[in-house]
Amino acid sequence: MDCISCKDHLSPFMDDDLEQTVAEQVREHLSACDDCALALEEIAAVLAACHESDPADASPPNADAMWLRISNVIDADIAEQERRRLAERTPPKRSWNFTFLQLASGFAAVVVISSLLTIVAIRNYLQPTGDDIYTRTKTEQTTIEKLLGRVGLIDSPEAARERQVREQQAAIDYWDQRVALRRSQWDKRTREAFDRNMQVIEQSLVQYRSNLKENPEDEISAEMLDAVMRDKMNLLRDFSDL
Amino acid sequence: MSYWRWSLTAVRQATKAAAVLAAVFLFIGVASVEAQKKFSRMYPGSNNVRIQLINRTGTVTVEGWNRSEISITAILEAPVANLEPQNQSGTIVINLVRDNQGRAEVGNVNFLIRVPVSAMVDIETKIGNLSVSNVSGGLVRARISSEGDITLTNIGSSAVSAENVIGDIFFDGVMQENGNYRFSSMRGNINLRIPFNSSFRLVATAPSTRNISMGPFGTGSLNYMGDGRRVVGKFGEGSATLSVTNQQGSITFLRR
Repeated sequence: MDCISCKDHLSPFMDDDLEQTVAEQVREHLSACDDCALALEEIAAVLAACHESDPADASPPNADAMWLRISNVIDADIAEQERRRLAERTPPKRSWNFTFLQLASGFAAVVVISSLLTIVAIRNYLQPTGDDIYTRTKTEQTTIEKLLGRVGLIDSPEAARERQVREQQAAIDYWDQRVALRRSQWDKRTREAFDRNMQVIEQSLVQYRSNLKENPEDEISAEMLDAVMRDKMNLLRDFSDL
Repeated sequence: MSYWRWSLTAVRQATKAAAVLAAVFLFIGVASVEAQKKFSRMYPGSNNVRIQLINRTGTVTVEGWNRSEISITAILEAPVANLEPQNQSGTIVINLVRDNQGRAEVGNVNFLIRVPVSAMVDIETKIGNLSVSNVSGGLVRARISSEGDITLTNIGSSAVSAENVIGDIFFDGVMQENGNYRFSSMRGNINLRIPFNSSFRLVATAPSTRNISMGPFGTGSLNYMGDGRRVVGKFGEGSATLSVTNQQGSITFLRR
């Protein structure tokens, strides 16, 4: 008896539905064939599980359907075994084998390169281009800042300046209102002094805004505009409590 | 005869006029003295005492002396300001803005303050001149909110700051190693008189006038930037930090 006919007779064999001679042939084949014996054990295990499960969960007493499922399980099992055989026949994939020296060299190279990159990045961040770190203006950017600016994580110098001016203008408007409330109570000398100083500040503001309109990259004018805006805010704040 | 009669009458009239004028001047003088009020007080102090003054209008003069006390003298013009100095654990605090909050009119208050040479001085006023001399404490800060001159003479402090809107700034002193010096004005002249052996890193900016005169200090490694609007660089070892900004005025360095 071959494996195929044996497996065809496994179900009736389990149910003692085979003729004595056929059953004897099956029994003889099972004793010699591990695969079919394994299939028999699995069928037995499935049947045992079916017997142990809750009767309510059990499938309807349809013997054909049950045996069809069992047959599917067996077929799947055979297919798995075939896949394993094929896998054993294919040559093994190439594995990367390194000596300790190679691994150590590679590790050292990674450490050195990453350290150098870190040092360059930190130096670039802390020490921008220019002869002296003290020469750095707010509008100058380090490489990291430029990189972050390009990916949109930080503002460009122009956008940052506009945002800062807006914030300063909001503060100036607040103190301007406070001054407007107090101004009527000042004496003439105070009023004149305030107006005189505010006029000087406004002149500088007009000048720097004009410079930046002509040349938005003018870092000194941008820095001075920021300083004069602060001066204006300080003057308003200082006179708002008189 | 008529000539002598006329002459006698003229002398009498002149005498009367002189008497009236004298009476007027006397009245004005008395009224002026009565309109002023003098404040004077002494405070015991240590070497590292700190004086913090916020004035409204008037002049402030601070002088260092070789005593550990602080002497405060103030002439208060009418309408007389409230003046209530406080000794806050080693810091003498005078805040005329706070003490006269809500008062429409307050007269000038002119201070003369004497402090130990090693005292820290922090003075501020809305309008008026500030003067500090012979002080070598850790800090000298002089700030005028609007207009007035700042004169700092014989200063040896390691942190000096002077700031006004309209007015001159004059600094005469020694720059300490690793010190920090900052001078800022909108319109006026900034003159710095320092020893030739000073050592500092400099950022001097005069954007409108481009008038930055380094004098004998031009031999340092200095760079003119932004079409001459700014001078940046080092003089000597560059240990101290010096920042000078004059928006509409000049910056001049002088050898001490």
